[in-house]
Amino acid sequence: MRSRRWSSPAEKRYNEAALNSEFLEFRGVSKSFGPIRAVADVSLGIKRGEFFSLLGPSGCGKTTMLRVAAGFEEPDVGRVLLDGRDITDLPPNRRKVNTIFQSYALFPHMTVRDNIGFGLAIAKRPKAEIRSEVDRMLELIRMAGEAGKKPDQLSGGQKQRVAVARALVNRPDVLLLDEPLAALDLKLRQKMLIELDLIHDQVGITFLYVTHDQAEAMSLSDRIAVMNGGRIEQVGAPAEIYESPRTSFVAAFIGDTNFLEGRVRDCLDRDYCRIAIAGLPEIVCFNDKVLEAGKPIFLSIRPEKIHISHDRPEESARRNLLPAVVEDVIYLGSNTKYWVRAGGYRIQVLRQHDRYFLDEKPLRWKDACWVWWHADDGFMLDHFRKDDEALLAVPPQSVGEPLNGK
Amino acid sequence: MRRSRFPIAVTGLVLAFLYLPIIILVVNSFNPARYSSRWEGFSLTWYAKLFESPEIWQAVKNTLVIAVSVTAVSVVLGTTAAYALHRWGSSRLQRLHYTLIYQPLVVPEILMGISLLMAFVAVGAPLGLFTIFLAHVTFCTSYVAMTVLGRLQDFDFSVVEAARDLGASPWQSLRKVLIPMLRPGIVAGALLAFTLSVDDFVITFFVAGPGSTTLPLRIYSMIKFGAPPMINALSTLLLAVTLTAVLLSQRLANRRANSVTHN
Amino acid sequence: MRRRRTEWLASLPTLAWLSLFVVVPTLLVFVIAFRPSNPYGGIGAGWTLDTIRALATPSYLVIAWRTLWMSLLTTAICLLLALPAGYTIARAPVRWRNRLLLLVIVPFWTSFLVRVFAWRSLLHPEGPVKKALDALGLVGPDATLLYNPAAVVLVMVYTFLPFTILPIYAAAEKFDFRLVEAARDLGARPFQSFRKVFLPGIRRGVITAVLVVFIPALGSYIIPDLVGGPAGEMLGNKIAQRVFTDRDLPHASALSAVLVLAVLAPLIAVLVLQRKGKRSDIVMGEAP
Repeated sequence: MRSRRWSSPAEKRYNEAALNSEFLEFRGVSKSFGPIRAVADVSLGIKRGEFFSLLGPSGCGKTTMLRVAAGFEEPDVGRVLLDGRDITDLPPNRRKVNTIFQSYALFPHMTVRDNIGFGLAIAKRPKAEIRSEVDRMLELIRMAGEAGKKPDQLSGGQKQRVAVARALVNRPDVLLLDEPLAALDLKLRQKMLIELDLIHDQVGITFLYVTHDQAEAMSLSDRIAVMNGGRIEQVGAPAEIYESPRTSFVAAFIGDTNFLEGRVRDCLDRDYCRIAIAGLPEIVCFNDKVLEAGKPIFLSIRPEKIHISHDRPEESARRNLLPAVVEDVIYLGSNTKYWVRAGGYRIQVLRQHDRYFLDEKPLRWKDACWVWWHADDGFMLDHFRKDDEALLAVPPQSVGEPLNGK
Repeated sequence: MRRSRFPIAVTGLVLAFLYLPIIILVVNSFNPARYSSRWEGFSLTWYAKLFESPEIWQAVKNTLVIAVSVTAVSVVLGTTAAYALHRWGSSRLQRLHYTLIYQPLVVPEILMGISLLMAFVAVGAPLGLFTIFLAHVTFCTSYVAMTVLGRLQDFDFSVVEAARDLGASPWQSLRKVLIPMLRPGIVAGALLAFTLSVDDFVITFFVAGPGSTTLPLRIYSMIKFGAPPMINALSTLLLAVTLTAVLLSQRLANRRANSVTHN
Repeated sequence: MRRRRTEWLASLPTLAWLSLFVVVPTLLVFVIAFRPSNPYGGIGAGWTLDTIRALATPSYLVIAWRTLWMSLLTTAICLLLALPAGYTIARAPVRWRNRLLLLVIVPFWTSFLVRVFAWRSLLHPEGPVKKALDALGLVGPDATLLYNPAAVVLVMVYTFLPFTILPIYAAAEKFDFRLVEAARDLGARPFQSFRKVFLPGIRRGVITAVLVVFIPALGSYIIPDLVGGPAGEMLGNKIAQRVFTDRDLPHASALSAVLVLAVLAPLIAVLVLQRKGKRSDIVMGEAP
């Protein structure tokens, strides 16, 4: 994410203050549809100018949150505030908020120009102003030549750009995007991702982006809220979410990970502690929590942080070393995924091929090997739920075995 | 996989069966002979006789007056009903609503006819063009509602939400977005209502009064009291008119007009 | 609350209209069945059960029975013809499908009265069909094709056939024909796979088709009136006779009440079946 250039120290201070205030706020919002609780007591603050994503599987409540912000759903409980003002009771047409719909929802009986100008026409702006604003938008999305076309004559990417222009021309305080890239194929999606990013930088409006695709969320967002079952699991910058997941859901939903279960033995010093795990040698882990001996703990280690080799590496104080047996080797070109068994655990290891070593003996099935990782790379979770293990794609060991070997 | 010829053969027979009487009817309308068994050459005598008959013209006038007014009213009622049924489909009110709208479609015409007759008699209303109008609106509305409802099923409602999102009031989004997009379906429904009203016999028979003869009623009395071959000519004309209306209606109902689709 | 108000506003016009012109009149029919006939025509004063008791007379029972079996026969024949037809149209290439459907629907959209009249001319003793059959020696010169139950059934089948084909087609169109291929792959003969895989698969279409013939057939009036004669009289023309010839509204109401109940019976049966199978509403196929 590129940062904007500030013009003066005073302006920078003002902008920083504005940046740090909560611009779009959800306070204790709950919404149910009949017996289904779509959103359960969610509070969230989004900063001005942020690119904020709601990330989660389908049914987690993220779209409902968006619709509450837009005014298409009324929360059963809770308030929504925009720039300090309570907008919960305002109908959608009275909010300074615009939505990009998943199906784009372009008006089929109007041209591109009329589509983009719709909001301004409703607001009864003078014709000259509408014309110039629409032209400006057409420039921004580079579709000045297609202004007279109807939506059914446009490609998917073009439709999306028109939808964005139609929303932005009204200079909303917040732009809401409901999985706008879901309908596009992979190549187009990658291209539109970059375009969205550029538009955000150029225009500087607050974006609230809803998606189930972690790659989209991670690459575009300033901050992400991971949602599951109507609740927020964690809010933070992408790196924070990835490297320091608070719950097993966040750890398993985003990328891959390994879960180890154990008890705290004792604390080595202020920063590290020792954990006893059944079947494995003692594990050392970086400690950012207040812990006492005997407390049960769940560890999450990402596969790319684990190293693997035939030969036993040197011992090191902060290194966790385990003997293991290779169970599965999946060659992926730029890297290889290994499934190894150590103690009672099946551990996933991701190894990048950054050098091509001619004489290196490849690790094969049933080989004895060594895996290790640095104590800093394991992360202790605040909450662990057994169900979240199902999110890890552990391969079955025989035909007919339920997924994840359970 | 080799397909059995049997279904196709049956379909062919069915189609032949369906068209036989109609073809014979149309052919005979050009036959100047009194009894259709003898073909006496191509002639337009019966058509000419039709134009000269004042009762026929009166019936045509009555039929058209009723059909146009019925269409206007039932389109408004039916479209509103379809919108409600689609928008709030699963609520208890709408389920009751749907059952009610469904009734005229399922109930045999004679039941509708007699129940309306009883109602008018009980209230003391004089039977005439107005009672026919009321009866026709009752069943035409249901057909319009079903036609428009069918179109609404394929309708992407996020377009209406988009209009609201961009500042339009509920009424504005209805006027500027929903209705223009529904236009083909509404017109299809209107044509359907028109045709049904022009064609209706049984219900009209029960609720008509003296002096309020419509075309179907006139045809019936012509059939019952001697059958001048004028009927063939009249029927052929009626056939042509309703056919045109219905073909237009089908065209509009089936056209995948301008809906935004995913790529 | 805001949403509720708009819902009521939008539903009110049709709800009010239909309650007034459908529900109330139907109730009225049942009410008037309990009143005596006025010998001078119209409805008499007071309440009585005589009108209803009069329903049990043999002549009525004969007509009721005739109406029932003729409707059932019509339904059966229509189904037998509609199943292959619907199947063929659903399997036809897309371009042909719409044309075939249009061909099926068009006769329906000619005036109903006119079509029945056309059949009357056709079946007339001086008409072409009789002459053809005569020439082939299939019928004697004195036989009448008109004014009997067979003629009524024939014309009813003719009238209701398009109604039957459409729901069968609609269901067949949604049917995944690869299931039939799978059945053939596993050894079933064509008719077997038709019976065991296709028919159950279009069950809902068949049910709709049956309803769409059986119920209107029960209430037929014009067809028996024009081609049935006294031997082919059905409930429908009995009711009309009571109203227009005899001016006996209470008896007409009583008969109509019977018809209403007869019509409700299959509808409720289907509803109960639906609840058991937990399926969603039967769609009447788009009204042609």
